[in-house]
Amino acid sequence: MFGLRTWILGVKSLLLHPMRSLLTVLGIFIGVASVIWLLAIGEGIGKKAKEQIEGLGADNIIVRSRKPPDEGAGGFSAPKLFGLTRAECDTIESTIETIGSVLRIRELPYKFSYAGNPDVKPIDGRLVGCTEGYAEVTRLEMSGVGRFLKDDIDVNVNVCVLAGELSAYLFPFEDPIGKQIYLPESQDYFRVIGVLKPKNATAAIGGSLDAQDFSRDVYIHIKTMEQRFGDTVIKRGSGSFSAQEFQLSQATLRVKDVRDVPRTANVIKATLFSKEGEPRQDISVIVPYELLEQAATTKFMFMVFMGLIAAISLLVGGIGIMNIMLATVTERTREIGIRRAIGAKRKDIIQQFLIETIALSVVGGATGILGGLLCPAAVDATRFVMEQFAPKILDSLPEIVRETDAVIVPLSIPLAFCISVMVGVIFGIYPAMRAAQMDPIEALRHE
Amino acid sequence: MADLAASIKELTKTYKLQSEEVRALRGVTFDVPQGDYVAIMGPSGSGKSTLLNLLGCLDRPTSGSFFLGEDDVAKMDDDGLSTIRATRIGFVFQSYNLIPQLTVEENIEVPLYYQGRLDPSARQRCRELASMVGLGERLGHRPTQLSGGQQQRVAIARSLVNDPYFILADEATGNLDSVTTDEILQLFERLNNEGRTIIMVTHEDEVSAHAKRVIRLRDGLIQTDIQNTDRVTNLKKEAMAKIQDPAKPQMERKV
Repeated sequence: MFGLRTWILGVKSLLLHPMRSLLTVLGIFIGVASVIWLLAIGEGIGKKAKEQIEGLGADNIIVRSRKPPDEGAGGFSAPKLFGLTRAECDTIESTIETIGSVLRIRELPYKFSYAGNPDVKPIDGRLVGCTEGYAEVTRLEMSGVGRFLKDDIDVNVNVCVLAGELSAYLFPFEDPIGKQIYLPESQDYFRVIGVLKPKNATAAIGGSLDAQDFSRDVYIHIKTMEQRFGDTVIKRGSGSFSAQEFQLSQATLRVKDVRDVPRTANVIKATLFSKEGEPRQDISVIVPYELLEQAATTKFMFMVFMGLIAAISLLVGGIGIMNIMLATVTERTREIGIRRAIGAKRKDIIQQFLIETIALSVVGGATGILGGLLCPAAVDATRFVMEQFAPKILDSLPEIVRETDAVIVPLSIPLAFCISVMVGVIFGIYPAMRAAQMDPIEALRHE
Repeated sequence: MADLAASIKELTKTYKLQSEEVRALRGVTFDVPQGDYVAIMGPSGSGKSTLLNLLGCLDRPTSGSFFLGEDDVAKMDDDGLSTIRATRIGFVFQSYNLIPQLTVEENIEVPLYYQGRLDPSARQRCRELASMVGLGERLGHRPTQLSGGQQQRVAIARSLVNDPYFILADEATGNLDSVTTDEILQLFERLNNEGRTIIMVTHEDEVSAHAKRVIRLRDGLIQTDIQNTDRVTNLKKEAMAKIQDPAKPQMERKV
């Protein structure tokens, strides 16, 4: 009995009031489309966050030095050593078995200029002391010009590798390889042996890791840095003077097996922190693996939240359907009476009205899915329009909003469809029951 | 029993209105043989509508029995009554009661549809019925595009589609002018001549004058149940039309 004819009949009845049916469908359309949209955007944001954290490497543990807050107001005091020391790093490397390799990094703020071109003003940048493995771990790529530092030949030699952007600034018209860059603050010269591809800055992750900009980096071997610059950094400005002493900015510890990451992180914390387990002010331990898990939880929460919003809009759509169907049932009381009088059973009446609500919700669901699939295109279009007409507003938005792409969750399409059918059934059943429960005699008398 | 279209025994119906009980029918007994043409008459409050609802299987009696063929309808549940209505009764209403969004053809098909018997041969029969009532050319029209008389003829075709035990006409001519009333009554007579049983409820003497038998109700009981000896038939009408003005015989009869 759920035959084609019943459906055709239902659609015919709906088409008697095209505007009313259209508006009802619109309610479901919005509900279903918003399910897909919200899930797609949620997925996109989650994916972006995951990519950022994965950029740090899930099998890595990052130990980073932090400058503790200045003690005492003003005046000069002897710099106090802070942060991770070489000795601590060596202890970790030699005592914890699960650690495969340790990458030591030291970053110093410096000004750079080109010795051969006095017109180039010194530019603020970062002098990074590192080892051969650095490029791989931080996913830096060579631009094809020259090579990266090598542990066996570049130690204690004044050679450096430039970030792509810095190279373009210092050597706009020349081949940088073999040229000398000049550090005016320490009066050092370094020969360029390689240039890296430009790399986007990484965003800050939670409160544990600052954003990093790689565009003005100069890479030298950490041993060279130790030799040339020592552990104390003195900054002289006009009328100011500061000194800080630290040995390592960061150590990236690669764990042999990803499954050992949480355990290893605990051992590292136990080694570095006091016996009471109180975190040290000058060191933070970042475990991307844990961040990934956190991000997954956050994403899940986010999706649930988004889903809830979508569910509310579907609920509203469903109530719209119910409202219309109740009105329709009242309006068609007489028709129900006629049908009952000439042989329709209660279940036939239920079926008839249920089919109408399902038809409404399925049409709404199907168009809603089409609308939902437009989400990535719509996000791109919005971004394009913003770029054209309101670039400042776009720039002021956080990166995750600016660069997130909507990713359609494949499951959301059948899900949305099922939901729309369910909405049709759930919100259609009551009006249909009411129609079926009518007394045929009363219904026939109804004007 | 086999030649009875319907058989009613001691049928009563009591409505409960808050504390008050209304005894609409107080024990009505009569048989309707096949091929009969019965007019049920009575003033308002006589139990006429109640009897109609019971005959139409739209309602169940408080007591008594109502045999439609072999089955006692009085004891059936809602679904059973629906099936009986779909298979054994042909309804014709005062206000036609066609389904507005359906065409003439589809309206005629509705009872068969609810029985799940809508096959190509059944549809062919529906078209034949439409031709029989003179609407063979208007199958695709909607009720709103038809006149009252045409709509009523569609309703009659619909009532015949399930080959019912009897046609139950409720003030079938009440909304029609006198010319159209005559047409519809002629159609009923023709159907009756073909062997159809017709029960019609009316309060108009002119209409009941066409029936073979007139049952008068009063206060929930049968007052009279008499064969109509002075029956108006198509033949008589034609004969009278030859000698008199067509409007006159009706006036004379009233006196």
